[in-house]
Amino acid sequence: MSAAQLRLFAAILAAAAGLGCAGVKPWERDLLARPDMAWEPDGREATARSHVFFSKEASLEGGGAGGGGCGCN
Amino acid sequence: MLAEEGFRVRGFRGMRPCARLGLAALLLALAAGGAEAVERGDPAPGFSLPALQGSGSVSLAAHRGKLVYLDFWASWCPPCLSSLPQLEALRRELPADRVQIVAVNLDKEPAKARQFLAQHPIGYPSGSDPQGRTPESYGLETMPTSYLIDSQGVVRYVHEGFRKGDIDEIRSRIQALLEGKR
Repeated sequence: MSAAQLRLFAAILAAAAGLGCAGVKPWERDLLARPDMAWEPDGREATARSHVFFSKEASLEGGGAGGGGCGCN
Repeated sequence: MLAEEGFRVRGFRGMRPCARLGLAALLLALAAGGAEAVERGDPAPGFSLPALQGSGSVSLAAHRGKLVYLDFWASWCPPCLSSLPQLEALRRELPADRVQIVAVNLDKEPAKARQFLAQHPIGYPSGSDPQGRTPESYGLETMPTSYLIDSQGVVRYVHEGFRKGDIDEIRSRIQALLEGKR
């Protein structure tokens, strides 16, 4: 296979891969909207974990409040 | 001379085959982006859909001459579900001879929407569009989205999303149009 043919083949492959990308329309998000598709399956648990995390990480500041480590924010 | 050669516009025919293919693919991908969103001042695309409940059809043309509040909803969309009972309460407040609320349900499984409506009945018609052709023609960008369409079939207001207190905004928009204000 010549270099030109190889380039053409690569271009066809890239074009095919690019056209394979399909956007999800807002009205097609029924499966994505399911609670088990969320990044955090349990919102309350995620909030509690993040609170514990930023309360421990004194060097990073808390969630929106100055300082950290006291667990009071 | 060399720089000139490099910058010369050769046109589509003058391009190398792989560059031509790449450009065509890019244009195709851009063209596949879908319809442009309907905005204020645009004519509202017409539709005729099977009714979600019972028999018959739901169309926009059937309500020409009235102010139409067109609401796109789905049973998997929590803000849509909170809007439906509030829209139903608003419907009762408004003059039925001048304002019509029309809904379009976008559930792929309309049974889920019927299940919701069995618990929260609405007094306005809802069409069922599981294929999503109507939202495609409106270029819907978020769920839920509603359109306030005047008696001439022109979109006068687009409401995206549904948060607490939004019903007051919708009510005032409808009343302003009923009173002939812009």
